[in-house]
Amino acid sequence: MPKIDLTMDVNGRKVAKQTEPHKRLLDFLREDLNLTGTKEGCGAGECGTCSVFVDGKLVKSCLMPAAKADGAKIETIEGLAKPGSLTPLQQAFHKTGASQCGYCIPGMVMAATSALRENPSAGIEEIKERLGGNICRCTGYTKIFEAVEIARDVIAGKLPETALDEDATGDSFIGANVRRLDAPSKVSGRLKYAADIKMVDMLQMQVLRAPMPHARIVSIDTSEAEAMDGVACVITADDVPGTDGFGVFVHDQPVMARGKVRHFGEAVAAVAAEDLVTARRALAKIKVEYEELPGIYAPEDALVDGAPVIHDYAQDNVIKHIPIRKGDIDKGFAEADLILEDVFTTQQVEHAYLEPEAGIAYVDHDDVVTVLSPSQNITHHRHMLADILALPINKVRFIMSAVGGGFGGKEDMIYQGMLALAAMKTHRPVQLTFTREESLVASAKRHPSKVHYKMGMKRSGEITAIEFDMLSDGGAYGMSSEGVMRKAAILSCGPYEVHNLKVDTTVVYTNNTPSGAFRTFGGMQAQFATESMMDMAAEALDMDPFELRRINMMKIGARTHTQQELTTASLDRVLDAAEEASRWETGAPRMRGGQRQDLGGPDTRRPCTLGARIGDAADTETKDERVAS
Amino acid sequence: MLICENYHVPKSLEEALRLWGDAPDGSRLVSGATDILPWAREGRAGDVEVPALIDVTKIPDLKGYTCQTGRIRLGAATVYQDFLTDRTLMTNLPCMPYCAIWFADDQIREQATVVGNLVNASPVADGTPPVVALNGEIELARLSGGSVQRRSVPVVDFIEGPGRTVIQPGEIATAVTVDSAYGYGGSFQKVGQRRSLVISVACCAALVRADSTGAVFEDVRLALGGVGPRPIRIRDAERRLKGERITRDLIKQVAQTAADEVGSRSRKDYRRDVVVNFVRAGLEEALANQPEIGAKFKNFGETENA
Repeated sequence: MPKIDLTMDVNGRKVAKQTEPHKRLLDFLREDLNLTGTKEGCGAGECGTCSVFVDGKLVKSCLMPAAKADGAKIETIEGLAKPGSLTPLQQAFHKTGASQCGYCIPGMVMAATSALRENPSAGIEEIKERLGGNICRCTGYTKIFEAVEIARDVIAGKLPETALDEDATGDSFIGANVRRLDAPSKVSGRLKYAADIKMVDMLQMQVLRAPMPHARIVSIDTSEAEAMDGVACVITADDVPGTDGFGVFVHDQPVMARGKVRHFGEAVAAVAAEDLVTARRALAKIKVEYEELPGIYAPEDALVDGAPVIHDYAQDNVIKHIPIRKGDIDKGFAEADLILEDVFTTQQVEHAYLEPEAGIAYVDHDDVVTVLSPSQNITHHRHMLADILALPINKVRFIMSAVGGGFGGKEDMIYQGMLALAAMKTHRPVQLTFTREESLVASAKRHPSKVHYKMGMKRSGEITAIEFDMLSDGGAYGMSSEGVMRKAAILSCGPYEVHNLKVDTTVVYTNNTPSGAFRTFGGMQAQFATESMMDMAAEALDMDPFELRRINMMKIGARTHTQQELTTASLDRVLDAAEEASRWETGAPRMRGGQRQDLGGPDTRRPCTLGARIGDAADTETKDERVAS
Repeated sequence: MLICENYHVPKSLEEALRLWGDAPDGSRLVSGATDILPWAREGRAGDVEVPALIDVTKIPDLKGYTCQTGRIRLGAATVYQDFLTDRTLMTNLPCMPYCAIWFADDQIREQATVVGNLVNASPVADGTPPVVALNGEIELARLSGGSVQRRSVPVVDFIEGPGRTVIQPGEIATAVTVDSAYGYGGSFQKVGQRRSLVISVACCAALVRADSTGAVFEDVRLALGGVGPRPIRIRDAERRLKGERITRDLIKQVAQTAADEVGSRSRKDYRRDVVVNFVRAGLEEALANQPEIGAKFKNFGETENA
């Protein structure tokens, strides 16, 4: 490949390097200069993990060709403070707990630095606006904004430098800003995530993914790809030496599609090559012949007689059915003065952690197959991989790298197996870094659900019976579905004591992207149905919704839906606190929108309005800027 | 992934035109590069290999802006952030800051150019309506017999449809020249899937100047985006407002006519509702944003619900 010469001043140091002409500034900084504090979260200018200063202006380095920055002065997160020290902004991020997973933080610190350089007295609206190009998935931004305001005031001398120190704590840490031990490594960009780590002689992996959701694989021809210069190996399901299959509950997912593909984007083959471009080019040389199969795209269709079968072991397409029975619902509904019925649906949701999946595998000097990745479940992965590789457990090692956000989405071993196979085949370290698009198509999602709900109640508000029937879309593989259904069933009817209930949660296979673990693990879908039903019931009974909940809440001595006797209960206090904090306008929830008196209070978050700085600029305008007419 | 064999950074327009004329098929001009890099990714163009990228942002002729009589020539390297930081541009092109603040984010605005936005010819380009409202003309340069020849085309005629312009092989867009609208109030209305970093579903640019009493529309400019394949200037609406007393009723009546400008095939009813409200909001905000003359509505006291 042809090369170009680039010269830049990077963090005060002159850099002259030859590189490939296609490289983005982001690639040049990370690959050629090892400045990995600048991250890649999306590669499309959306997330801001790659923000750097170019000639004093903050830009997204994933959107700038490196050659465009030739001759420029570059400042990265590594250059903000001298080694061993932190800027006031970095200290403020440390103080307030603004860094959680840390992956967005270098970019966020850069954006905050830019905001205060552009306007040292920026107000909160302008700060929000100037940080608008940087996404954080962990914090909800509050702690970040708090940090920027503290730093602004310290820099301006309005707050003493001690404002950056850790809050004093008395007998309890509750309510204090307790600093995270790992925050300095995150606010300075020093923490290495899996994609930031380089090993000597390391190969780059790329994955060929299915272009259709359900198809038989007729043939895979990898010969042309394997013959390419720079390609070290191509792997398919045929390279698996042991018992292929992983999953959190049922081991139904092969390392790569085996015989057929079950969802769009499923891994079919993978290439390990000397560099990323060669690996990408090799993917295009792999020939796969598919025979398309009829698919299932709605969970209801999976249960129809004669529906396509997605996994041979589950002819009925059911991954798991969890029933709970308590009391006698016929009796309960007979006692009811009012019976409400409705259907509640929730949609698929992506976790959208800022760090796309990445990992490295190598075979060490003792023949231990080692996988380093931001896995949320390394011990289970290790056991499964040992079976897949037909190795004793002491020959498989998992290292958990820093997790740049997981939220459940990194519990599934969707790429570590491929890395291990390539490392074993080449005896070289192999690295795979997902693109954002790849992360979206290949990783598990929150289960889409549909709940048929029937609730019987007395005029007094007491719930006499609930029938709760949830059908969830598990997608192509089981992953965490069983656990999600268990939790959805256990939490189904909420924190309310219900003497008569019939609960069924069912999850089925479809040809959609697999569903898996996601914060609340099934609880959210169930609570959306139950709490919506409670509000609708309050309206039907002309009763205050807090009151209705107090009448039915579990108290000490109550029996849960699964017959556990409670020895502690706090819902009474939770409801009191929520009622006070929300300034709830007492009464049946009949009033909506602008009629309500409890909306838009001092501590509520108003919608973002753009243009905080336009008005300020207009105020200081002068007449002489008029163009002659 | 975007892969190129060569990346050229010409230092003069002549050099750029020569490189562009000689460039192998498939080569691309780049300015901010904020559109081409996300384009060459999975789900859009996928991996793209091009022989050469020719970066025009280091050409002196394309940098900065110049003020002529009643007009401003914005060099093709002018970036969106300039409309939020340069006082002269902010006051003379009063619809541009409001467009810029809705455009991407501070960091992308440091890179993304207005001319690049126009040349891409997306029907939902944020830059098109305000430039059209400012009577923008795009300047195109080419080499003819070794010397640089230029021509100008009104932006309304320059963009022929989605991704289609009248630009000829070998030509490079070097500038866009727009009216100075000093003293006008400007506004920009936009709706997309979310608030930040998003393309428009529909947008509207408005420029208004009331007479010295503040009670009569002296000049009105209205342009829509996202509702048809080509730029839309709503001259009928402008004519119906010019010279008339400023009243909310008149604004409401005229805004209603904007619905018929919607030529989109998707979400047509939604877009018809949106543009009517956008024209109303655009006019009212532009009136309020006038730097020297506060708008005096004839029936100012009335309140209405949208």
